[in-house]
Amino acid sequence: MDHLVLVVVSGIASGAVYGLMGLGLVIIYRATDVVNFALASMATLAVYVALMVVEQGWGVVAGIAAAVLVAVVLGLIVREAVIRPLGAGQLFAALVMTMGVSLIMEAVVSDFWGTQPRAFPPLVAGDMAIGSSVVANQDLVMIAVAGAAMLAIGWLFTRTTLGSAMRAVAESAATAEIIGISAQRVARIAWALGLGLAALAAVLYAPKSGLSPIVLAAPLFRAFAGIFLGGLNSMHGAVIGGLVIGVLENLAASYVSANFRDTFVFALTVLILLVRPQGIFGTRSFERV
Amino acid sequence: MVRRHLRLLVPLLTVTALAVSACGGSAGSGGSGDGGGSIKIGAWIPLSGPQAASGVPQAAGANAYFARLNENGGINGRQVEWIVKDNAYDPQQTVQAARRLIGQDQVVAIVNANGVAPSEAAFPFVLEQSKVPVVNHYGGIEPWYEPARPLLFGTQTLYEDQAAAMAAWAVESGARRLLVVHDDPKAFADVAAQIEPAAERADPSTTVTALPVKLGTTDYAPVVSSVRAAAPDAVMLIVPAPEAAAYLKEAKLQGVAAPAYGYAPTASSTTVTLAGDAAEGFRAVSLTKVPSDPSPEMQQFRDAMAKYAPDQPADFSTLLGYANAAVFAEIAKTINGPITAESLVAAYENAGKVSTGVAPDMTFSATQHLGTDDVQRTVVQGGEWVAEGDFVSAPERVRS
Repeated sequence: MDHLVLVVVSGIASGAVYGLMGLGLVIIYRATDVVNFALASMATLAVYVALMVVEQGWGVVAGIAAAVLVAVVLGLIVREAVIRPLGAGQLFAALVMTMGVSLIMEAVVSDFWGTQPRAFPPLVAGDMAIGSSVVANQDLVMIAVAGAAMLAIGWLFTRTTLGSAMRAVAESAATAEIIGISAQRVARIAWALGLGLAALAAVLYAPKSGLSPIVLAAPLFRAFAGIFLGGLNSMHGAVIGGLVIGVLENLAASYVSANFRDTFVFALTVLILLVRPQGIFGTRSFERV
Repeated sequence: MVRRHLRLLVPLLTVTALAVSACGGSAGSGGSGDGGGSIKIGAWIPLSGPQAASGVPQAAGANAYFARLNENGGINGRQVEWIVKDNAYDPQQTVQAARRLIGQDQVVAIVNANGVAPSEAAFPFVLEQSKVPVVNHYGGIEPWYEPARPLLFGTQTLYEDQAAAMAAWAVESGARRLLVVHDDPKAFADVAAQIEPAAERADPSTTVTALPVKLGTTDYAPVVSSVRAAAPDAVMLIVPAPEAAAYLKEAKLQGVAAPAYGYAPTASSTTVTLAGDAAEGFRAVSLTKVPSDPSPEMQQFRDAMAKYAPDQPADFSTLLGYANAAVFAEIAKTINGPITAESLVAAYENAGKVSTGVAPDMTFSATQHLGTDDVQRTVVQGGEWVAEGDFVSAPERVRS
């Protein structure tokens, strides 16, 4: 029983990271129709900056703040310099652009900080006993911080004027412009929010995995699985999808087979998408001809 | 600084580079000539992509060795020009790199290349068509050396022998119930499979169980929970260094007391950096002496790194590249006359014992193309790798 609890708690902690990244992806996608493959590498660069801040003796919290700030600024620069000039409706061009940005970010990180993995300090030290098992406090903090960030985003989108504007743009940018909402401004905010969430996910994940230029490649893959499972246009779907992937992969590794951990998780995802192509919480979109 | 900026352009220039390199060298076009100037040798190494973490320090270590060698007169008065191409650990790019090295750069040998699978892709062109030797490859597999393959020479104890050496060490230390935590791909599973026969040979009462893990796992909580339930005497880790660190951290958290042993990829500064104090007491077999070894040769290594590659640490990763370069130089020095592909092969086959002082002594002959099966037992103490005794030979094992 203790083993099961440990597996689930640990899976939720990993899933919280996938959920945060997925949420960032969905916010950007809904506001700008861009699937941002550069999200992980941009967040990674931000964590390297955070590590520099920590090494200066300013503490982990200051490092996290720096990571979020750098990611937000980076997101705005990429959005304005690379994505915006493409114009609306350039889905595939934007996709390729973000892939290119991702490669460039990786090269920059490798060049400036090297390729050797580095340790990133946890937000909190210590551990907590659950029966005969022990959970690192950092895992619990990961769950708490990610949960708080997700709730804040939920509140922003459902309880504020800005959130209403963002939802309006997500539904129809043209209609939103008619009623006076600047789609460009909303797009900038979406990129900033998305990258901020990704940076938060990255600084929570790095103490567990170590920091390297491609540290977020695997979590990004799982975040995508989570958002397709939950629904590409659903924010709570992205979060729940990420959590489901995190817990399922741990359960599969522990009780099915480590060899088939990913196979099991993604086979389930494929099955769900066969039954419900828009994902569990996604909505079908129809385009009039 | 210029090189730094050039590297930033790599992703943007990839397509162009591929197109240009496709026009490179033809089969049998070079590599065996000796113009009497510098000795041109080459290598393909992953300097970008996920494997750059091993490739960049390896290249830095070898560069430091050759820089020091050249400053001290080179090989028999001739400078060594070691030309490195980035293969990004990709077979296609490796073949293109091989074509350029042999066709355009006219290298006499491939020295210190990196990437077992990518190199396999280049071997038909390099070894069979161009007849250019590949020596001192970083890593390698049993079929490369048993039986000896023409033009192919190695300096690193095979992973399978490392696993056998780990098993013998654990049994020698009193462990009788071993649990092997290994990544699931065949390359890891085959290595892990060598632990059971080696342990049983050391003591027939030894039992070995395997616990496969998905490659790339960062969350080791479920794995360690299973390890704790199994309560082994020792845990054998056949996983990359970052995963070994993840295991060690979680094992410390869960209070797993069984000592952990790793193979050479885990004898790395990465393991200590990432695991922190959880790495204390971790044992691993190494292919070289420990970086802090006080011998004059190792001091030379540290000095060379400080002088010629100050941005890279003097650690196991750089030492591997340095050691491979040193073995090449020691053998090439024995050549009287032109250094060609043919004379290099002859020199390797007649080398007998080769000592560098940083790696185990190597022995090559016409039938023995892999120079050693020795490892150095090392333990993490006080945040540093410490040697336990001298190099030891891996035990005889069941050959695949």
